[in-house]
Amino acid sequence: MINFDPNVRPLVSPAASGWEKIAPEGGSVAPSAKSGFLNAIEAAGKYVSRVDDLQQASDASIQDLLTGKNNDITSVVSAVAKADVSFKVLVGVRNKLIEAYKQTMNMPL
Amino acid sequence: MKVDNTFGPVDIAVSGMRAQGQHMEVISSNIANARTADAGGGQPYRRLETILRAQTEGVSGVVVDQIVGDQSPMQRLYDPGNPQADASGHITMPNVHLPAEMMNLSIASRSYQANAALLRRYQRMVETTLELLR
Repeated sequence: MINFDPNVRPLVSPAASGWEKIAPEGGSVAPSAKSGFLNAIEAAGKYVSRVDDLQQASDASIQDLLTGKNNDITSVVSAVAKADVSFKVLVGVRNKLIEAYKQTMNMPL
Repeated sequence: MKVDNTFGPVDIAVSGMRAQGQHMEVISSNIANARTADAGGGQPYRRLETILRAQTEGVSGVVVDQIVGDQSPMQRLYDPGNPQADASGHITMPNVHLPAEMMNLSIASRSYQANAALLRRYQRMVETTLELLR
């Protein structure tokens, strides 16, 4: 059972870890400037594993149904519905992230 | 009472579908055994009733709490030629009434449909929300 936070606070709240090491020292980027984008990618990466868990649970329940280990079809429906919804969330977030990246990269400087 | 779970409606609707499925199983047993004079131990089949219970207090799914026997009296049918008839020529038959079972079956099937409709509607709702991402 996953309980994902529907608001995008994790995506915009900058976590302190990781970014300072990547930021070029003495460059134009101030050390205090933290990227929300990197955190968004990291959060999406963590979400991928949860989506994968749900997908595998749904696969396992389908297998159990087909092999006769479990004949409760409603649990299969539940697992598949959860996997479907979480995957759609993941795809939506990923599309949005990539779109944002592309828009940034195509910005004329 | 926590209601911020995204998969809450899915779980609750599925628990309703499961409970109604079990209810339908009990009803089918009642209908199949409507004329079973001997359900083991020489006693006629006793009609079974499903008792539902909420999983937790507040917002929750439903589970089948227990399946109990209907305590209403068995039917007495006049059938003097039957070898199982007693001195007055009556035989004891199950306390299953088919019209009542058909109504219970309709209720169970409509309730199952309602839960399935809720699941479908909720999925569409989530998809509508995700459309906003595009």
